[in-house]
Amino acid sequence: MNDPILSLRGLRKSFGAIEIIRGVDLDLRAGERHALIGPNGAGKSTVFHLISGNSAPTAGEIVFDGQRIDGWSPQRINRLGLARSFQITNIFPKLTVFENVRIAVMRPYRLQYTFWRPLDRMARIREKTEVLLERLRLQGQAALIAGELTYSGQRTLELAMTLASDPKAILLDEPMAGMSSEETAYTAQLIREVTEGRALLLVEHDMDVVFSLSDRISVLVHGQVIATGPPSEIRGHQGVREAYLGDEAAA
Amino acid sequence: MVLAGTTVLVALPALLPGGLLNASIQMLIAALFACAYSLLAGRAGMLSFGHAAYFGVGAFATVHAMNAVGGAGLLPTPLLPLAGAVAGLGVGLVAGWFATQRTGITFAMITLAIAELLHALAPQLKGWFGGESGVSAMRMPAWGLTFGSTTEVYYLTLAWVLASVGLLYFHTSTPMGRLALALRENGHRLRFLGYDVHGLGVAIFAISAMFSGIAGGLLVVSNEAANYVVFDPGLSASVVLNTFIGGVGSFMGPAFGAALMTFFSYAVSDLTRSWLLYQGVLFVLVMMFMPSGVAGLIAATGRLVGRHGYAAIAPVAVLVVIAATLLSAGSAFVIEILQHFFSQDYRSLARMSGRGSAILLFGHAWAPAAVSTWVWPAGLLAAGAALAAVARRRLAALDRDPRPDKPGAAAQADAEQGVP
Repeated sequence: MNDPILSLRGLRKSFGAIEIIRGVDLDLRAGERHALIGPNGAGKSTVFHLISGNSAPTAGEIVFDGQRIDGWSPQRINRLGLARSFQITNIFPKLTVFENVRIAVMRPYRLQYTFWRPLDRMARIREKTEVLLERLRLQGQAALIAGELTYSGQRTLELAMTLASDPKAILLDEPMAGMSSEETAYTAQLIREVTEGRALLLVEHDMDVVFSLSDRISVLVHGQVIATGPPSEIRGHQGVREAYLGDEAAA
Repeated sequence: MVLAGTTVLVALPALLPGGLLNASIQMLIAALFACAYSLLAGRAGMLSFGHAAYFGVGAFATVHAMNAVGGAGLLPTPLLPLAGAVAGLGVGLVAGWFATQRTGITFAMITLAIAELLHALAPQLKGWFGGESGVSAMRMPAWGLTFGSTTEVYYLTLAWVLASVGLLYFHTSTPMGRLALALRENGHRLRFLGYDVHGLGVAIFAISAMFSGIAGGLLVVSNEAANYVVFDPGLSASVVLNTFIGGVGSFMGPAFGAALMTFFSYAVSDLTRSWLLYQGVLFVLVMMFMPSGVAGLIAATGRLVGRHGYAAIAPVAVLVVIAATLLSAGSAFVIEILQHFFSQDYRSLARMSGRGSAILLFGHAWAPAAVSTWVWPAGLLAAGAALAAVARRRLAALDRDPRPDKPGAAAQADAEQGVP
């Protein structure tokens, strides 16, 4: 339980002369829910991009499940069991909800080059897709075109696609961004349910969600982690209050 | 529907004279080429501007297969397009590996460059491509058939085209076919779901090239010759135009578009020197007024019939057809007169005689400067425009007054106003 499944060591990323990530150390333990918080521009999304293979770090190492994955391609990292969602909804907008999820579900079956069997006849994939849709309460919208779902529906679909490959660790980038408070509460509960037994690294601005959902919280300020600990500790941490929570506490 | 279409195609040789049967072979080949192209450009969203390359490679592979073994042929005549398939697949794998490294405009430019490379290289490599005169070959008798008559060649082409289009249709239902759509929609997301996007792109590119190669092979089997003009950029362009005129969003649209355009080019090639102009104008009009192509037009008409019934739509449809005919006739009149007027022959003739002579068109001599000449196209265009306006008003009236059992139809129809 306490072994880290994902560790970042001395992670750095520069864009030209500007260093965005300045030596991040972070451990995500197996099975824990871990939030990464910090003011805008602290580099939270960049950390996600580095872990998921969207871009390569300038220096430092990323170890996932015992393997160095820094500089790997996104698909290779995903196949190792690390899946992510995106801050800006990233789905197949003109395909149905069912097809979106099915494409995500069938990846582990290595069917990418299969041109001799119809996909509709593969009962196992159909079942798994339906189970996943049901778990995320999307079964009623399965036949809709994904781009015509409500905003929060699309966010839920994004979550379903991230879970589809049964990953060991999940990175969720602001899953509640732009949601009403009801939708936020609903989604938080959904995330709690579906990430049971997996490691979750979460970037989120809604502090109620962060403090109620997380086992541990790391605070990223100017490309460095200034504190890591359980919610109670972070709430009382003086440096965190000054750097980040200060203005929220005042408000 | 499929059965009816197949029956008609099988019955054609009994119904058509020889010249039209030859044109039908060309139409079938163009239809297959467009279908193969639309797998890449329509479903996978990779707009290739150089698909003549794979058509041409298939053509030359087939002509060499025909001439192999001292003219006896590498394969029996009915299987010769297999040589085109293998060559198309092979060259498609290599070209696709490079082209699919990039997407969008860069992808299009790489495909264009590869096609231009072959186009420039082919006349130099006389051993392979036969130089100016090309390479000719003979269809050998096989399987108890002589393949000497157009009818036999037609059935051979038909069998290959039906089988290939059938396989391409089957492909849409397979995991790879479904992933092609996802690749068009969002390749970035596909990568983060664990798919090898480059490998997928190469596979789809190669399959598209393979079926293009079959189409090229069929052309050679029909013509008993191949010439490097098959690498002409015009062929790459016309498959793009045919596919989009037919309607890239539907499976059979591109095949219909290609068959239609090939038929037109056959029908008017003796009548006009401006076929390319008509083709271009038609393409621009389709893109402006019905971007989902002929297939989209048929689907929209079907929706209108479903909403208002045959009885209400039929008169409007007749009006639209008459209006379109009048407008086309008027435009063709203007284009043809001007084309003749500005042609070199006419200019030198006029210089010699010192005055403008009459232009022979539609079996009548027209004086280019006379008012009576220009009254005709003006009248045709005005009548066409007037009828089009009437049709539009009638359609709008239908939509304002929807049948009571279909509420909300008017609002829907408003959104589709541009389509008919």
